[in-house]
Order: sequence, then structure tokens, then C-alpha cells
Amino acid sequence: MANQSLSEQLDKIVEALIARPRGTVPGRGPKVGASLRPLAKIAAQLRDLPGEHFKARLKLDLERRTSMASKPVTAKEVRQTAVPYICVKDAAAAIDFYKKVFGATEVMRLVGPDKKIGHAEIRIGNSSMYLSDEFPDHGALSPETLGGSPVRMSLSVDDVDAVAARAVAAGAKEVRPIEDQFYGERSGLFADPFGYMWNISTLKEELSGAEMQKRMDALMKQGASSTVPSAVKPIPEGFHTLTQYLAVKGAATLIDFFKQAFGAVEAFRVPRPGTQLIMHAQLRIRDSILELADATEEFGARTVANILHVDDVEAVYQRALKAGGTSLSTPHEQPYGDFEAGVKDPAGNQWYLTAIRKTGHKTEDTGTILPHLSLVRAAEFIEFTKRAFGAEVAFMHDAPDGKVLHARLRIGDSILAVGEASDERAALPAALHMYVPNVDAVYAAAVREGVTVLRPLRDEPYGDRAATLQDAFGNWWFPSTHVKDVQF
Amino acid sequence: MKDRSQDAGERRLVEAAQKDPGRFGELYENNFERVYAYIARRVGNREEAQDLTAEVFHQALANLARYEWRGLPFAAWLLRIASNAIADSWKSKAREQGNPSSDELLSHHIDIDDVEQRAKLFRLVTTLPNDQRRVIEMRFAQEKSIREIAKELGRTGGAVKQLQFRGLETLRGQLVASSRKKTAAKSGVRPASKSGGQNG
Repeated sequence: MANQSLSEQLDKIVEALIARPRGTVPGRGPKVGASLRPLAKIAAQLRDLPGEHFKARLKLDLERRTSMASKPVTAKEVRQTAVPYICVKDAAAAIDFYKKVFGATEVMRLVGPDKKIGHAEIRIGNSSMYLSDEFPDHGALSPETLGGSPVRMSLSVDDVDAVAARAVAAGAKEVRPIEDQFYGERSGLFADPFGYMWNISTLKEELSGAEMQKRMDALMKQGASSTVPSAVKPIPEGFHTLTQYLAVKGAATLIDFFKQAFGAVEAFRVPRPGTQLIMHAQLRIRDSILELADATEEFGARTVANILHVDDVEAVYQRALKAGGTSLSTPHEQPYGDFEAGVKDPAGNQWYLTAIRKTGHKTEDTGTILPHLSLVRAAEFIEFTKRAFGAEVAFMHDAPDGKVLHARLRIGDSILAVGEASDERAALPAALHMYVPNVDAVYAAAVREGVTVLRPLRDEPYGDRAATLQDAFGNWWFPSTHVKDVQF
Repeated sequence: MKDRSQDAGERRLVEAAQKDPGRFGELYENNFERVYAYIARRVGNREEAQDLTAEVFHQALANLARYEWRGLPFAAWLLRIASNAIADSWKSKAREQGNPSSDELLSHHIDIDDVEQRAKLFRLVTTLPNDQRRVIEMRFAQEKSIREIAKELGRTGGAVKQLQFRGLETLRGQLVASSRKKTAAKSGVRPASKSGGQNG
């Protein structure tokens, strides 16, 4: 939220900067807070940022100069050296089609006594193309007769979407839809009614061959690492889509608490090298996994809330107090029928011990541990999770003022409980480890929705491809795909 | 600004381009941002900055054979051409407006640190994550409003402002990082470690 208002403040500064005529001394602009001052300085320097394509255009211009400087251009060379010569079943119809769709102009045609076109020349943009009807006796056969053509035409236009729409309207078929390509073009592949394929494109970015190669290598690498060998399970055994990840002070003490109070079983712990601290630990409470670590500078301690489904609320509550927890609420029946108690663990995390009685909720759906998020702007958060993670609303209880009292979202095979933060209920965002089959796609969608990337997506030494994100509501997300089994 | 091995590399590039103008591209790539930053700081608008930048590189290409290596960076030569081009443009403007050219106007020194800093910033913009880069370029180079950018990218105004904020943050971070010696990367929580456990 602080981020939100900072971005607003910063934009006011940028707005004033852009509005100011160049070269003038800053007048009474908006007041710049100390935290934004370095950014305002960069913004001021960026006013002189060169236009996106200017550098590439000037380079092309210079290159043309250098190649021309070595040899004068003669009129003869203006004539196109290599020209495609295509054979079609109905050349007259093809010429009409290319005129209508590609804006071709007819230069000439030679018609034989049989009314067949023996040779025709058209121009599309700055290029020539020759065509003729079929003459099987002379070996001139069309793709329709041959069953296709191995030659593809490449057509550069100003507006690929408009040209492609015209082509389809005139009878062409879309082979590959129009998309932005890594090599700087927006293009798609279309089959004309005469058997030729046209790659129609609009140049979006002028890139050098080396830059294209770099992008292609990156794509291949991404593709290679997101292809999961079948033996590796992208979602490791025992994990559901979402797992609450606790970053705390005193992880070792907390593990003891979970064992004594909630009957947790420790799967393993990894110490931070050279310290008594825990870098990562994994516990199991019945059918749910809980992960935790000692807080670091990068991931500071935060408290979260979870619903813990238990059979005997009273007994677990007493054990929790004995193990060092503090009471948030004594065991009581809720108006909606469930039996609940609240405890705070030694690290300050809130646990709502719940025995489901009369509500329709089922633990089979939620698992034993159900992360509970109290958020400012909960309704907006729900919309965000729909767009970013494909969440579905499984249950929704609105307050009369339209605020979300209690909602349950389904993401993958997991459920999240979400409610609006209030005076009585402080905002408690979550830290969620999220296992998905294809983390690259999830990461891209989340980034598109404007999440802050705390750690970009990368292959981690422990065998996961993972990233760390923070959404606008304060939640941390650790989207991951397990890509390699690593022996320790 | 540069160490000796960089000097030697640059000298080889210059000599190669003197023999074969087709090699000028590398010198251009290495110096474009410097020349542009220097000119843009001194002229009134983007069109003029682009015209003068183009003029500088065309002149440099045309006169490259006459360039002599004197131990100064190649950029110094380019910035001198730029400085003259700016002065000429001011003089002709002053003449058009009937004002005699003022020596005061023409006295300008080259603050090389400032040029380097801006050139570095412009280069860093091209390395930003795609969505941040798009927003920064549209906002600053194309001077588009938040609303226009939001429409073009299919995002909310708030998201665009966030991207603008994050873009500038990233740039600031990288400028700081490149000005300081990078310290060893901090190790942090490993949110998805699976050492031992079910896979071990």
C-alpha cells in the first residue's frame, strides 16, 4: 500500500517534469519527499531518453552509407535482381486477389490464344513478382496440382492485422495466428486460395542478428528448462498447490511448539551454514505441509494467520497454551455453528483451531491447514487472484457494505480463506509457496498483473524453478515447479 | 574513465573502421548514448537532438580516415564534433533571428562524468524487464500520458504507475550497484528447498 502511494507521488513528479518545457529551471513542482528524490533525479535525466527506434534507424542509415560509399549505384541495379516466379491454376483470379488483399499493381500480362496467362508481372510495395497459369507440358505446375508448395512468401506491411483481416475476408486461411515474435516482428502465417503460404508481418523493433540470436537462446533455454522430464513430478509428493511459508524469529522454538501443540511431524530441517538458524524446514500436520525458516534481511519476519482443523478444539487449545502459545479466544461455538478457539504461537502467528460442525465446509477440500488472509481491499485481491492465478470463488459472504466478510478461493487444489481487514481484525497477508505444473506461465501472468518481483524466476540449486513475488496487497508468493530431483 | 586494455581495444576498432567503413557500426554502438546524451542536454527538443546526433555520426564516418589516435578516447573526438555541430546550429539560428551570435552561448565545456552517467542510464533502460522498459520508453521518450500507456498496454493506470515506479527503482538500483563494487550476493530464505526429505 505504501508502494501504491509512492508510485502515485512519483507520477505527480514525472507529470510536472514532462509538462515543463525543456531546458527550463524547475519551478514550483510538487514537493519531493526524501525517499523519492533519487528517483526524481533519474526521471529528470530520462527526459532526454532517445526514442525507441532512433538508434537502430540511424545505424541502418549509416550502414547504407558505408555500403554505398564503396560502389556507386547504377540504374540497372534498381531493377530487382531476384524475383519469385509463381505458377497458379487461375492466374487472373490470383492477380485480382493480390490486388485486393495486398494492394498489388499489375505491371503487365501476356495472354495466349487459349486465354491463359503465359506471363504476368505485378508489384507489391517495392517488390516485383511474376506469375503464370499452369502449363503441364512445360513443367509449370501449380501447388494445387502438386499438393502444396515448399516455398513461402514473406510480406512486410505497415499493419499486419488489417492486411490479414482482408486476406481472410477474401478467402485466405489462417495457418498460424498473428503474434508478437521474439525477432521484433508481429506476424502470422496465411494460406492464399491458390496454395501459397504468406508470412505477413509488421516490423515492431529493429534488432540486429546478434540481438535476435540472444533472444532465441534465452527462449530455448526457458523452453528447455520448463520441459519437465516425465520422471520428475512438477508438484512434489505431499504438496498441494498452496502451502503457508512462515518466516519467523526463532524457527527452532516454533518447530517444538508445533510438535507439542499440533502434533506436527518434522520431515527435515536445513541449517543456515555456520549458524544455529534454520534456512528451511518442512513439517507435516496430518494431511498438510507447513514450511518455515528463520527470517533474513531479504525476507523479514512476518506473522500470518491459519485455520487449523482439529477434532478436539479444547484439547489442542490447552496443549497450545502449555507449549508456550497465548490465547486469542477461548473455545466457543461460533454463530455459524463451528466450534473454535484462537491461539497465538510463540512467533506471533494466529491459529484458529476449528472443528467443523454445522457449516458445509469440508476439510477434505481445505486440508488441515487453511491459510487465512486478512487484507485491505480484499475484494480487489480476489479479482487479482482470478486474473493472475486463475482463482475461483468457492464461497463468498459479503457484509452489507459490500466488503468481503469471509470468502474462500480455490487455486489449483487448494483453498484460501480471505476477509477484509478491519479495526478488530488487523491486516495479515500471507506467504504462500505455490506449486504449479508450469511456473513460467504462472510467473508471466502474475508479472502481467503488476506484481513486484522480489526474486526473478530462476532454476534453484535444490531442483525447483521458482520466483518470489509480492502482490499489491502485501502477500508473498513463491511460485515453483519442481524440475529436477536433487540428491543431498 | 577507461583502463589501458579498453584503450587498446578501442584503438583496434578505430583502425579497423578506418580500413573498412563497414566496421564503423561497433564504434557507433559503443558511443551512441554518449553523443546523444551530450547533445540532448544542450538542445531544446528531441527532433533537434536526433538531427544533430545523426549529423555527428555522419560527419565522423566521413572524416574517420583523418582521425589520428592521440591516446584520448574516441568519444572525446565525437563529442568535439558534437560541440561544433551544436555551436553551428546555434549560430545559424541566431543569424536567422537577426541576433549576432553570442560568445557566451558558445562557451560550453564538456562534463564527461555527467555524459557518462546519462549514457549509462540510457543503456540500462534497454535492459529493464520488458513491461517496465515499455512504460519508461513510452512515458519519457514518447511523452505519453499514463492513460494513453494504460490503453495501449491494456493495463490499469495504477498498474502503469507501479511499473513506472518499479522501472525507476530498478534503474536506481543498477546505477548504485554499478557505481559501487558489487558485494557478494546475500543469501536468503529458500522458500522451496527440498533438501533431504522426500527427494533425498
